[in-house]
Amino acid sequence: MEAHPRPAARTGAGQPRISGTRRALLLGGAAIAGNTALAARLWQLQVVESDAYRVQAAQNRARTRPIQPLRGLIYDRNREPLVANAPVFSVWLRPAELPPEREGPVLANLAVLSGERSEDLQFKLNQARTAPDTPARLARAVPRESALTIEERRHDLPGITVRTGTRREYAHGDVFGHILGFTGPIPAEDVESYRRQGVRFDEDIGLAGVERSLQTQLRGRDGEQRLEADAFGRTLNELSFRPPQVGQHAVLTIALNEQKAIREILARHLALRDRGAGAVVVLRPDSGDVVAMVSLPDYDSNIFTRGASSESFALLVSDPRRPLINHAISGLYPPGSTYKVITASGALEAGVVLPQSKIHCDGRLILPSGWAFDDWLPQGHGLVDLERAIAESCNIYFYNVSGGNPYTRLQGLGNRRLAEFERSFGFGERTGIDLPGEASGLVPTSEWKNKNLQQPWVTGDTYHAAIGQGLVQVTPLQIASMYAAIGNGGRVMRPRLIDRMLDQHGNVAVRTAPQVRSVLPISDEHLRLLQSGLYRAVNEPAGTGPRARSSHTVVAGKTGTAEYSGLRDAEGRLPSHAWFAGYAPAEQPQYAFAVLVRDGGEGSFAAAPIARDIVDYLMTGDMPPLPQERPDFVSPDHRL
Amino acid sequence: MLLRLARIEWAIVVSTIALVAFGVLMLSTTADPGANGLQNQAVQKAILGAVGLGVAFAMAQIDYRALHGIAVPLFLAGVLALVMVLLVGDFDLGARRWFEVGAIVIQPSEFMKVAAVVAFAKYLADRRDSTRAFRTVMVSLGLMLIPAGLIFLQPDLGTALIFGAIWMAMVFVAGAQWWHLLMPVAIALAAFPFAWFFAQDYMRQRFVTFLDPGSDPLGAGYNVLQARISIGSGGWLGHGLGQGSQSQLEFLRVRDTDFIFAMLGEQLGLAGTIGLLAFFTLLIVQALVIGLRARDMFGRLLAIGIAAMIFTQSFVNIGMNVGLMPVTGITLPLVSLGKNSLLVTLLSVGILLSIHAHRGAAPFRQQSMHVVRGSLPAAGPRGGLGR
Repeated sequence: MEAHPRPAARTGAGQPRISGTRRALLLGGAAIAGNTALAARLWQLQVVESDAYRVQAAQNRARTRPIQPLRGLIYDRNREPLVANAPVFSVWLRPAELPPEREGPVLANLAVLSGERSEDLQFKLNQARTAPDTPARLARAVPRESALTIEERRHDLPGITVRTGTRREYAHGDVFGHILGFTGPIPAEDVESYRRQGVRFDEDIGLAGVERSLQTQLRGRDGEQRLEADAFGRTLNELSFRPPQVGQHAVLTIALNEQKAIREILARHLALRDRGAGAVVVLRPDSGDVVAMVSLPDYDSNIFTRGASSESFALLVSDPRRPLINHAISGLYPPGSTYKVITASGALEAGVVLPQSKIHCDGRLILPSGWAFDDWLPQGHGLVDLERAIAESCNIYFYNVSGGNPYTRLQGLGNRRLAEFERSFGFGERTGIDLPGEASGLVPTSEWKNKNLQQPWVTGDTYHAAIGQGLVQVTPLQIASMYAAIGNGGRVMRPRLIDRMLDQHGNVAVRTAPQVRSVLPISDEHLRLLQSGLYRAVNEPAGTGPRARSSHTVVAGKTGTAEYSGLRDAEGRLPSHAWFAGYAPAEQPQYAFAVLVRDGGEGSFAAAPIARDIVDYLMTGDMPPLPQERPDFVSPDHRL
Repeated sequence: MLLRLARIEWAIVVSTIALVAFGVLMLSTTADPGANGLQNQAVQKAILGAVGLGVAFAMAQIDYRALHGIAVPLFLAGVLALVMVLLVGDFDLGARRWFEVGAIVIQPSEFMKVAAVVAFAKYLADRRDSTRAFRTVMVSLGLMLIPAGLIFLQPDLGTALIFGAIWMAMVFVAGAQWWHLLMPVAIALAAFPFAWFFAQDYMRQRFVTFLDPGSDPLGAGYNVLQARISIGSGGWLGHGLGQGSQSQLEFLRVRDTDFIFAMLGEQLGLAGTIGLLAFFTLLIVQALVIGLRARDMFGRLLAIGIAAMIFTQSFVNIGMNVGLMPVTGITLPLVSLGKNSLLVTLLSVGILLSIHAHRGAAPFRQQSMHVVRGSLPAAGPRGGLGR
């Protein structure tokens, strides 16, 4: 390069004066400094921070698509499918692809096309915006025509895709409503806890029944597909694929035909007696297997997954009989005389009475305090021993052995020991059946009464507890479980609803073994006395349960008429629930059962015939004839 | 002829060819695969680049001082074109910036850049004894504001500001007093709140986005963020030509024009970006050197103006790509797609070559065959044109 000519050298007369060299050099320096600054910045971006930008570029490019496994099916005992996954069209959105300024028109369009409310769509969109790259479901089930239209108009609906998915279709949703339950969207308050288990907020989960209790097993685990996509969301290549872990299938211990028939039997009797609600539980005494479980009124599982019309749903919710509740496990009732067996066993084991000890019943026991306690038979049963007391359901006998008798100086069992025996039969706690929402019931004690009612425990409370009245609360399942234990020789079994879980190929993945919850603290000899009392209650003329007599086998059981506070009838009696619980055949029990007719009146009239029909059906496989009798079920001679 | 080729400043030519080649390479990776031959944008650019370079060589043979004579009509023609484009230009993306004449798109603001450089050079060279006078600075400022104002109205704030930068560099070298130069800057700063009030929404948005591109990653900040990701992910050597998910999958938008540098950064890495920056620096420094060695003030100012034009555009564009400057829509000279800009820049290179070739050549009207190189007096009392 030549030396820069100095401007001064050029300045002369008539010569052009060239100036600004210094300033031009200054500009050159500034330009070089500027570009050096750019170079430094490039070093920072491309060397120092490069890794972070690589990660961002990779995230830009990769779309992660969770692959949801098909939900496991549920079969009856004979592998009859009770639920299927029916194809359904759902509408999804990848929020990153929907520019916020187009949100309004797109949602409006979509609301028209899908039939969803635009507020709902907006809510879901707002939820989904928190994870803009993950597709979220906007509409669960749109009709095929709408799905096609949405698909055709994709260019007007950026980010929107239609996917084919599944919804639960219940083959016998009406018969199994309470057992299977249903699936549906996650309640808002649970979204977070499900998210931690890898369940997306817009997924359907089991909300009731087995669908809920086996949610994790039925759902399986997500697979993942990572796709390369361009800026317009067009996918190009698969980067990786992890297959989903398909949900397991559940096989119930219940057979479809038996559940269906038993539900029908209960429904017929309720109709005959003009009663709206009742529950039946049938168990296998040896294994605790649930043979049938009915709670009427019930619901069809399908109305939840098909999208119930708001009227039918409102009807279900507002019905005072609460058809959405499975009363067989969640309903709490006083057990009435079905409970007397516990009092009897306690009195025997504690030596309050001998088996042959007789107590005189004259129909009424008046305590020194003046309180009178009546038998159901005004003239009394005379001298009764334990077996007869069970067979004829003598209240006075059980008052004496539980709370004692101040006149005869008989020292009763006392409520503390009575409560221990109640608990040993499994009362006051959940049976542990694989269903959500089971109630534990109540074994009342003086502590409980003090704490909750701020009242002292009195002898009358023990009398009431001894005959299953007053504060005692049980579920029909607990009663069935108790009679199963008496029938099987003293083992209280955990009710078994799920026989086994199958993997996707149909092989057994998990087999649930029968489980003994506890063994009754009753000697075999005493147990046989109880069994004998239950046999006589059905099969002797003076027993309370002759209407449970089957022509096909020998039934043993106990009636119960459990009064509850309500409007008294014309004769001043409280309304009552009708119970019958027992097992059959008496010698070698195959079935144990509890039958409850809510507000059914007398157990011997309202509940015993249902038990008989159920036993007849189970023994023969034939549906019994329609019940015809319509006796006056407030007849006084078989009260309690 | 050989003698004349020897007078070519080869560093300028090499850096120009290198920069055009960078552009051709980049465009070839994004060209529509269905476009063959002349339809291919990379091929078009290569051809136009070759033709433009040929024109520049031809210009080198002509004495740049011819421009002195046509400076005024050139400037007036440019202003007229800018007025026309405002009235009857094609409305596209919310602005009127060009005409379409058949298949050819004419963007008057590009040509105006050179016309303005020539006009400023003429005005300032003619008044080289009074450049310290406030009046001279103000008149030249007025000259600058005419095209800048018209371009601002298109609206195209970025290009308008380029005129300001060119003007400032030229007036500075011409010898204006510091406070004369600082005053417009001070006025501009003082006027900022008012300008903010009257500014178009997109301008405000761009400014906000510049300050914080993360503020709206899917909206206004999107391009800035994607550009930075593209460049950063390129690393040392880049993903290779035609590779790189950011540009190939079009996460990087306007990748052929405003953000072609980011695409380069992704595909060729630091090696590519520093290489490109080096060629730009070489080109600008050589332009300044040519200015320093020009035989008269007109030539020096021309060269300074052209250097300023290339530097400000490249600096603003690259600065925008790396997130050091706000988004202005300034393309990268010689590299970006855009035929008007390419042609105008090559013409400017031609002017540089001419200034260089004629730094010590015979005077405009050959008065003497034995003049000493580099000390030829210009004829005429005020200008360098020997009239």
